Amino acid sequence: MTTSILEDVTLSRRGFTRRSFLHSVSAGALAAGSVNFHDLMSLQAEELRKDGRAMILLWMEGGPSQFETFDPKPGHENGGPTEAIDTAVSGIRIAKGWEETAKVMKDIAIIRSMNNKEGQHQRARYQLHTGYLPSGSVRHPSLGSCIAKEIGDPKSDLPTICSVGQSPGAGFLGVDYEPFVVDRPGDMPQNVTLTTDSSRFDRRLGLLGKLETDFAGRGGEAAVHDHKRLYEKTAKMVLSPHVKAFDISSESAELKGRYGNSQFGKGCLLARRLVEHGVTFVEVRSNGWDTHQEGFAAITKNAGEVDPGMATLIADLKDRGMLDRTLVVWMGEFGRTPRVNPRNGRDHYPRVFNAAIAGGGSRGGQVIGGSTADGTAVKDDPVTVPDLFSTICKSLKVDPSKENLSPIGRPLKIVDGGAPVAKLFG
Amino acid sequence: MSRLMSRPMLQWVGTLGLAVGVPMAAVIAPIQAAQPKAVAKKTESKRPVTIRPASETTAGGKGPKVTTVASPEKDFRAVAKKTDDVILAELNRVKAPVAAKCSDEDFLRRVSLDIAGTVPSPSEVTLFGIDPSPDKRTKAVDRLLGTKVYAENWMRYWRDVILMRATEMRANLVRKSFEPWMTEQLQKNVAWDKITTEILTATGDIEEVGDTILVMAQGGEADEVASEASRIFLGIQIQCANCHDHPSDIWKREQFHQFAAFFTRVRLQQRNMPIGFEVGSVQGGGDGMRERFQQSLENPEELIRRMDRNGDKKISKEEASRAPGGGGPGLFARIIDLADTNKDGAVTAEELKKMPKQEARPGRGSEEYFMPDLNDPSSKGTRVDPQFFVNNAKPGIGLSDSDRRDKVSKYVTSRDNPWFARAFINRIWYELVGEGFYMPIDDLGPEREAKYPAALDALRAGFVANNYDIQWLFKAITATETYQRQIRPRDASQSTPAFASATPSRLRADQLFDSVLNALGLREADLPPPQFTGNQGPGSRLLRSQRNAFHASFSVDPSTMPEDIAGTVPQALYMMNYPLFAGQIRGSGSTRLAGILQKFPNDKDALTELFINVHAREPSATELKTCQEFIQQAKSRPEAYEDILWSLLNSTEFQTKR
Repeated sequence: MTTSILEDVTLSRRGFTRRSFLHSVSAGALAAGSVNFHDLMSLQAEELRKDGRAMILLWMEGGPSQFETFDPKPGHENGGPTEAIDTAVSGIRIAKGWEETAKVMKDIAIIRSMNNKEGQHQRARYQLHTGYLPSGSVRHPSLGSCIAKEIGDPKSDLPTICSVGQSPGAGFLGVDYEPFVVDRPGDMPQNVTLTTDSSRFDRRLGLLGKLETDFAGRGGEAAVHDHKRLYEKTAKMVLSPHVKAFDISSESAELKGRYGNSQFGKGCLLARRLVEHGVTFVEVRSNGWDTHQEGFAAITKNAGEVDPGMATLIADLKDRGMLDRTLVVWMGEFGRTPRVNPRNGRDHYPRVFNAAIAGGGSRGGQVIGGSTADGTAVKDDPVTVPDLFSTICKSLKVDPSKENLSPIGRPLKIVDGGAPVAKLFG
Repeated sequence: MSRLMSRPMLQWVGTLGLAVGVPMAAVIAPIQAAQPKAVAKKTESKRPVTIRPASETTAGGKGPKVTTVASPEKDFRAVAKKTDDVILAELNRVKAPVAAKCSDEDFLRRVSLDIAGTVPSPSEVTLFGIDPSPDKRTKAVDRLLGTKVYAENWMRYWRDVILMRATEMRANLVRKSFEPWMTEQLQKNVAWDKITTEILTATGDIEEVGDTILVMAQGGEADEVASEASRIFLGIQIQCANCHDHPSDIWKREQFHQFAAFFTRVRLQQRNMPIGFEVGSVQGGGDGMRERFQQSLENPEELIRRMDRNGDKKISKEEASRAPGGGGPGLFARIIDLADTNKDGAVTAEELKKMPKQEARPGRGSEEYFMPDLNDPSSKGTRVDPQFFVNNAKPGIGLSDSDRRDKVSKYVTSRDNPWFARAFINRIWYELVGEGFYMPIDDLGPEREAKYPAALDALRAGFVANNYDIQWLFKAITATETYQRQIRPRDASQSTPAFASATPSRLRADQLFDSVLNALGLREADLPPPQFTGNQGPGSRLLRSQRNAFHASFSVDPSTMPEDIAGTVPQALYMMNYPLFAGQIRGSGSTRLAGILQKFPNDKDALTELFINVHAREPSATELKTCQEFIQQAKSRPEAYEDILWSLLNSTEFQTKR
């Protein structure tokens, strides 16, 4: 069996589960008469290979304060001690501590009018990853998994979705779109390194193939077939030259220094390498943004890692001509209360928060929406979670109204409602 | 009789005895003890077995009509027979070829995985093969049901059923108490209705009281607890009626919310440092101060009039703490903190109005349940009172949390509620047989059609007559011919009806982990802790073990449709390259493989031993030939065996129930 045939089979499994296949057929082509599976496949395949679009999500776990990031309010009581600095775009000022990011502001659009209702971490984290509120009856796929499914290259040697740190997964889309988790960015991920030389590994695979025949003949044929496909896919990754993407040691010391030696900085560098090697969606997580007490010091420390990582990532992508097709989104699950609490921190506040977007065809150097002077409410151009998700879909050329079927046959749109932020693409 | 009794086998038994350091006499003794004389009595039935004629059954797949079983059989063999008769009659009617009974080796491996969650040991395989007693399969089931690993295996199953759908990500904290509690319930064979009742009515500290698992998993939210209770215990996806009438069932939107109203006074209280949770209740009546206070905040002018004592049109902390209905000093102090914009230590009506709205805190419970108004989501909605959708029973109005949950557990577990037993039987049957009467296994609903409904009814009548005795159900299902059929090749061009042959199914994470340990001769307690793999949330440090690390990669929600379960790249990588396993397949040192190579200089013997260890069966002639050729071409004998062992562990068969 050749690789390409194999991949078509993979595609059929990935792109169309049994039910979604029936669904797609009934929706369109069946009405027109007969359509075979391969026609459908090639239709989708064309779309899939579009133009190597990718997304990197910079996730600020805990809920980053808008006042101490991209919506500072110096002079107002609610602004706390945080000062504002100028950026490369005149008129746009961001919080002190983000000096590197300020330098690349021409490529960044800040949304200061994000608003939502969910103020509990895990529910908001789920919602800001999937677009849906959690429900025990259905595990919604994360937007990243949906994107990997829609535009990921099924021929990629590497998984189409990776995550530096844990991330809500593929939900009912299943294991093909489950993020491949890297715990220690920069090092090879667990179990990727062979325990033998590659020729012995090949011999083992060969013996495995022979020893499978008895069980296949006894009634395990379908299982053996699936297993073989999985092992071929895995072996392909392990033996692929692309697997080197996980190892950042070949990068120059100068560039590594600019990204920073933190988990987050290394994660950003790894994200760029993965996208370069064909990965469609990468999430890089920064922890410690739940700043209820002594928040200003904590954020200064966090920004010390995120600022150089994010700014270098954007600049590096641009240098390599990758920024136009790589969308970078910075966000967390909600914002923080305008009032500084007695413990010198800020509490959860979903009514106003901010997000930052770069690349992927978006127009940088602008601010979308704004908050009131005291920061308690959105002043203009409110952007909801579905709006943000629709915006992401637009950038990646993914149809947000496309439906996936839950295991009990309920159709769920990739994004339920919302509209893209038009100003971003002007 | 068994082909294991052939002469070369007996020879091999000899070598095994020596190999494992058991005197030959000890190997032979149980075999002699198992001669027919000792077999006859010691069956499980307490009364004579009466088997009803097959003609009484209603075969065919027409609707889920409840077939009344004249006098419910309590005997598991009779029920198994009746179940088989129904299925066989239908298979014969449609002229479907029925697979033969599986071999002893396959049966023992299958039943060991199903009940004890692991492959049988080499000596169990051998002894079972040469045991001539006719009821040895039943005896094996009995023996396995008496082991602690049975209880642990099924504890893990139910843990995964509940926690894999957790919406509260910190729910793993409950494992500390759930795991020992559930193991004990299963070991004592506590009836399924009792276990269900405990889970539905649980209160207490979640790290001490294991039955709080469901409430904890859903963060104490009434509608989520209700959805999951219905899905897990009744197999009804009532939550589809959350926002609209059920699209494919008879349930109305109001019925979902009436069911949720049973759980509205559940309160999940969080404490910090260290983080923890307690399941309690919202008190109704006089204690509903907090709720009423929240309401009075909606009218700040009225509140000021009521609480302002010195006439400055402001409420200070001191005034608040003295006023009746102030919500207590702590509560209003927080309100003042939040609302007091000019920081004069008191709040005006204006300040109260501008105060950022407190977001509803899910899981904290409320005195009564309100069905949201879909046209105006921010409004309070319509109050609904508890009512059970299956039979429309109403427990009354304004009941306390414990009354509500006592009532709902009675309704759910009632013998008159057909869904309760069906949902449980369907799950266990699916796990064992590989295909359910209903698929997906947690979507039964009144509008679905069961396969072989009369067979399910026969099992239900027996299960109910035996007071929801869990082990009884295992005995009944494993005694069926349906369970004991072979797997067989499928002709993809033909659709074969369900249950005509056994269906190979993937091992669950813990089954596979235990099988790896058994095949490599490792004891879980001896394993080094895994390398730290990042912070995975509260309680993750407690869960840092090889088993949990493996589970993190291999676990699958047990309610997933089998066609939606596929292996993952990280799983394949784990089996291929995990350093701990790689170290244990070495052909030198103190590994089990090294021991085998030393004891069996003859390759046929060594390969047989290896196959029994890994696959719980002897190698076939082709497999022997393949391996022997491989050995001849290899650099060294140990290296060849390492590669063979690697291939066996990475094979489909090892990861599949056959």
